[in-house]
Amino acid sequence: MDTLISLVQIGIGAALINNFVLHYFVGICPFLGVSRRVDTAAGMGFAVTFVISVAALLSWTFTYFILRPEAPLPTWVWNAVGGNPQQTVDLSVLSYIMYIFVIASSVQFVEMVVRKFFPHLYKSFGVFLPLITTNCAILFACLEIMKRMQDPTSPWMLHEALALALGGGVGFTIAITLMAGIREELDMCDVPKPLAGAGIGLITAGIMAMAFMGFTGVDKGIENAISLFLK
Amino acid sequence: MLTSVTTVTMITAALVLGLLAVAMGCVLGWANRAFHVEVDAKVEAIAEALPGANCGGCGFVGCSDYAEAIVGSSADVTLCAPGGDACSQRLAQIMGVEVTESLPYRAVVHCAADENQRLQRVPYDGEPTCIAANLVAGVQGCVYGCLGLGDCTRACKYDAIHTRSGLSVVDYEKCIGCKACAAVCPRNIITMVPFKVDRMLVVACSNQDKGPQVKAVCEIGCIGCTACSRKAELMTMEGNLPVIDYDRYESDADFTVARQKCPRASMLYVGKPSAQDMAAVADETLPDRVVADFKTTVDETEWRG
Repeated sequence: MDTLISLVQIGIGAALINNFVLHYFVGICPFLGVSRRVDTAAGMGFAVTFVISVAALLSWTFTYFILRPEAPLPTWVWNAVGGNPQQTVDLSVLSYIMYIFVIASSVQFVEMVVRKFFPHLYKSFGVFLPLITTNCAILFACLEIMKRMQDPTSPWMLHEALALALGGGVGFTIAITLMAGIREELDMCDVPKPLAGAGIGLITAGIMAMAFMGFTGVDKGIENAISLFLK
Repeated sequence: MLTSVTTVTMITAALVLGLLAVAMGCVLGWANRAFHVEVDAKVEAIAEALPGANCGGCGFVGCSDYAEAIVGSSADVTLCAPGGDACSQRLAQIMGVEVTESLPYRAVVHCAADENQRLQRVPYDGEPTCIAANLVAGVQGCVYGCLGLGDCTRACKYDAIHTRSGLSVVDYEKCIGCKACAAVCPRNIITMVPFKVDRMLVVACSNQDKGPQVKAVCEIGCIGCTACSRKAELMTMEGNLPVIDYDRYESDADFTVARQKCPRASMLYVGKPSAQDMAAVADETLPDRVVADFKTTVDETEWRG
């Protein structure tokens, strides 16, 4: 049960409390660029959720087997060359280049598959896929997962990484859809010329971020509610 | 020497990345061929032939969407307003169909009253956009007429419609008929009229009310007296407004009597200036155009992140 609670906590935390866009300010480019209409914004949100999940799966796998200090592959190589067992080979310097490389090529692959076998799906969000392959929100999720995997007390496993990715993607979808709704109304307003366009968008995002600070502590409440319910 | 940690780390890193690159390259190269999607050569040719303005005047999302619609669902090849006849001809050639004559449709504002002729106006301090002002009751007496806050001007990409004394006026030298202004007008008083000749007669009023109500709110609006429809064969009454049958409109259509009988100035010729108009202003000299110096003036370039 503790696993379930911690998964819900991670998901809710990534979606609302530590929202990628509104708390960490990553993924601002699509957040401002594709938030003119609600339907395209929602499409973008789903695409980001999908890509972030794929990225979390791959980055967890690569980190677990190659990049972390005690990973099997470098250890095997070190033993094979007959190195000193007190020392270890640490490949974590490769994390950035590895994540970007793996995510970009796997998303490219997924895009081809979707285009071939699901033309309708491709029409609705396929066009967004190349735009977000190396988006900073995606890289941020990978790096966050890597950081938590090296936590000595409770290193993250795959399901926790996926919970973060799904929660983060849902949080991004919520944020960008809300933003698009606000911007559709903004079109009717007389915005001072120097602020029109990206300027008023950033101000709106800032106010939204402050509003989202109100979610702080929600995870604690949900944790209590779940444990009461399960009792 | 070979067993130092640094050396092994570097060599392993290089090997891992190199192998990964080769593996990914192979997978993507295979996928590119295995999952190749045939794009119709005609779609590409048509997308090439379209002007690429992405104005949406054809009713599709953009030029590429229109290109797909022509090939996929055999949409009409004459829908592209910016491309005009030449573009339609090219599209017809690619598709191998006969092109029927396409008329240049141009925007017409069905209101001719400037802000002094529209009565019962109250001061409006809200958002200076038509779409917002239209939500407020009683901004001006006429609920059909132009609001004059320039939504159409802002929608026009071709600088072809402007607000003069609170009334939107189309510049027919520049209008290309993309329908952007007609789509954005909250009162729907802009329609597209087929310009069979350079100057067309239009009914420049949209007020559907009866005479006394119209007189109360406008000095020149149509009172629905039906005089014109009795004098001109092409004009019929629909409700309290005359409608001109543009299907049968020819360049020699004569509306002189109908226009003389009209007690209000509700019928106008719009379009490019006629020879007489040009002759009337021939001796006037235009002031010199001042060209903005882009080094010292802030242009309207929008920053995009």
